[in-house]
Amino acid sequence: MRDVALFVPCYVDQLSPQVAWDTVDVLERAGCRVHYEADQTCCGQPFLNTGARREAKRLAARHCERFAKHETVVSPSGSCVATVRNRFAELGIDPQGPDAQCRTRTYELAEFLVDELRVETLGARFPHRVAVLQSCHGLRDLGLAPGSEQGPDAPETRDAVSLLLDKVEGLERVTPDRADDCCGFGGTFAVKYPEVSARMGKSRLAGFSGAEFVVGTDVSCLLHLEGLRARAGKGPRPIHLAQVLAGRAPA
Amino acid sequence: MSARFDERAREVLPDDARVEWHDTAVFDLRRRRDLAVAEVPDWEALRGQAAAIKAHVLDHLDTLLVQFEEAARAAGARVHWAADAKSANQIVSELLAARDVHKVVKSKSMLTEECGLNDALEGRGIEVVDTDLGERIVQLANEPPSHLIVPAIHWSRHEVGELFHRTMGTPAGESDPERLTRLARADLRKHFLEADAAITGANFAVAETGSLVVVTNEGNADLGMSLPGLHIACMGIEKLVPSMSDLPVFLRLLARSATGQPVSVYTSMVTGPRADAELHIVLVDNGRTELLASDAHKRALGCIRCGACLNTCPVYRRAGGHAYDQPIPGPIGAVLAPGVRAKQGGAELAHASSLCGSCTAVCPVGINLHDQLLTWRGEVRTAGPGERIATRMAAWAMGSARRFDLAGRAARSVWGLLGRRFRGNPAEPWLSSRELPAHPGERFRDQWRERRGSADE
Amino acid sequence: MNDREIVLARIRNAVLHKERHPGAYRAPDGPGGWDAFADRLTSVGGEPAGPYSPSAAGPALRLRATELADGGRIVAEASAAAEVGHGPWDVAPSGGLPHAFADVAVAIVRGEIACAENGAVAVCGADAPHRALAVLCRHLILVVDPKRVVTSFHDAFDGLPANALDHHHVTWISGPSKTADIEQSLVFGAHGPLTLDVFAIER
Ligand code: SF4
Repeated sequence: MRDVALFVPCYVDQLSPQVAWDTVDVLERAGCRVHYEADQTCCGQPFLNTGARREAKRLAARHCERFAKHETVVSPSGSCVATVRNRFAELGIDPQGPDAQCRTRTYELAEFLVDELRVETLGARFPHRVAVLQSCHGLRDLGLAPGSEQGPDAPETRDAVSLLLDKVEGLERVTPDRADDCCGFGGTFAVKYPEVSARMGKSRLAGFSGAEFVVGTDVSCLLHLEGLRARAGKGPRPIHLAQVLAGRAPA
Repeated sequence: MSARFDERAREVLPDDARVEWHDTAVFDLRRRRDLAVAEVPDWEALRGQAAAIKAHVLDHLDTLLVQFEEAARAAGARVHWAADAKSANQIVSELLAARDVHKVVKSKSMLTEECGLNDALEGRGIEVVDTDLGERIVQLANEPPSHLIVPAIHWSRHEVGELFHRTMGTPAGESDPERLTRLARADLRKHFLEADAAITGANFAVAETGSLVVVTNEGNADLGMSLPGLHIACMGIEKLVPSMSDLPVFLRLLARSATGQPVSVYTSMVTGPRADAELHIVLVDNGRTELLASDAHKRALGCIRCGACLNTCPVYRRAGGHAYDQPIPGPIGAVLAPGVRAKQGGAELAHASSLCGSCTAVCPVGINLHDQLLTWRGEVRTAGPGERIATRMAAWAMGSARRFDLAGRAARSVWGLLGRRFRGNPAEPWLSSRELPAHPGERFRDQWRERRGSADE
Repeated sequence: MNDREIVLARIRNAVLHKERHPGAYRAPDGPGGWDAFADRLTSVGGEPAGPYSPSAAGPALRLRATELADGGRIVAEASAAAEVGHGPWDVAPSGGLPHAFADVAVAIVRGEIACAENGAVAVCGADAPHRALAVLCRHLILVVDPKRVVTSFHDAFDGLPANALDHHHVTWISGPSKTADIEQSLVFGAHGPLTLDVFAIER
């Protein structure tokens, strides 16, 4: 049995606790023992993102401390994992020092299930047409899938999310238009430039026509798209991968 | 501060059909690039080679420039140095004035755009005719280009037809791209034959041989370089490559990244002047050495101006090139602006990106564009005092689980209010097109404590 | 200090002279030869013709040039005329203003080397001293030796004559002049020739 510490990003804790529970559920089904450090807060990404490096560094150090005793950390958010893994070093959190441990052992959920646990099936059923939302950080920073920039004939290396979805009973996967064009969230970008961001999200949603659900690995992108969809009153419903893998029926 | 990025974007965003059309046209270039790249088995190796050559060049720029200067002189060219835009414009103005030049044909050069050369020359009564078709369109319309390689990509054929009718007297109602191109060709041909001088940029310059390389599809630079008796090439000091054998590395990358062509129609290498003409080369710094001194940003000087990062950029495609309000728009423009042009609204552009990273993935010379934007955010201050205090308070709250807990409770108590207060209020940009998510109530950490106890604490 | 010294001093403050040049680049093999070049040329809007034996080339070229000229003026650079012999063309005179070629309908120019990777042909200053001719004409015909077709652009640069740079210009031409500046519609003949023919003639 593998011991896994759950990293629940600050906004997931506040806004989407159910995604965290779905993650717990999936990990337990996959045979993990899930631990939760109750005094975790934020990895510092939102601060790094606005250029508040001092604040980001403090939170990054705090984050590493909190998780230092765990070998494996898993999170249902690609962008937070990318921050821990790729950005802490440039904040001066020494990748060679003791803090390095949390860098090397933090995984995004899909990547953990495919690369580390090599799960074959989770026994989930989700009888719907779904399209994958490739979130940018998961895609380009963590390499969860080959980016479209590598060309239409890019070597079919792998796409962790699609691999997992294809094992879900009853699920039909729809190929979206411009599969990995950014949805327009971008953290503080959406706050500073809400209209440009909304316009990007609108195109993104339009690219998913034919799907009932859009499945992603980043709660932030999903919340952004859900906000736009709810206002427009139409379009596929954005949900997190963990919910599909947990087989939890949509509300 | 001048108008902000979003205010300028607001000039185009409300026209939904137009945004859609611009997005499609620009993304089409990206798709063509993808197809061209897929045909080159050594693409990634080529990118690596290009990045390594650029790193070498930038780290030896002093010796290479001197070597270039000597070789170019030996071949019969005159070489001038300009520390800034003002000096560059003055050198060119004086060269033209001394030869009593009245009309100049210019081929596309982002550098002269950056220096504001046209205005400087027109101020001295010299007629400047931009000859790249897209550049000519924006010149006639009296506006800046909105894209690196397709300067008028934001213009529809009907608008071009009207513009030509108004400014060149072409038949009213003409909107066929082929006929419009012919009309412009005939008009510009006259200017080429009448011009006393040509100004071009340079895509590359070869240190070893003193050669200039100018790349176009239309052939306008070639007409300029082969007709009038005076050719002035203005180039940034970063354009050097060490030797001839480095050129194909960049040329194989450039056109494929730009438009998906295997190479541009004309790749013209000139070494010294024509037998019956003069050649002057103006080497321009204008802020480049400031970037060169920055370890985090010097790589941006390796840019070959292919435009691929614009074509792939989800923000550029929706907001349009003019929203950047810089000589160069898009991701590379946003990377170049915060340092040198911070005061001209450049600093803000570090934030005008969702940091999706697609620009970095397409850049043929391996510039880490989105990383650099993030770095700039930490280096230039754009936040007002209110935002800075809020940032500090938020970080303080996040610094302890208990404070985070209290902040969360406070947020939940006002959450509902926010939605009601702002719903559908067009004055509130965030909520004008979004619903606030319903607040789920209890946080995960509390739920965990209730359901699983505190075994881990 | 003058601007030269200012700029060089700023650079010296910033550089370390440490980054090494990566060395020569070796491209993988790809399709080469005249057929591969001809395919590529077609894809960029050019017209391949031949390969012709020296004796068959003259008539074919005369026919094509006459057809394209449609009664207009045909001018050949001396280097091209030397390869294809007499025809309905004038040999470009030495001296005079380049502007005198503004009314040329068809120009015939010798190409030095051709590249299958991208359809480009190198026109060297030694063969084309009248630089304006190849851009001012309405139709351009380039004449190349099919044995001088190489695979990659790297090979093409390596294959230039040692003294290529001594004659002012080397111009790589890949297809007819074109633009897509109006709504991305591809139009041939932006400023330069509307058509480009490349004749392969065995030397
Ligand atoms: S930064 Fe890279 S992708 Fe962008 S224009 Fe320059 S070379 Fe092209």
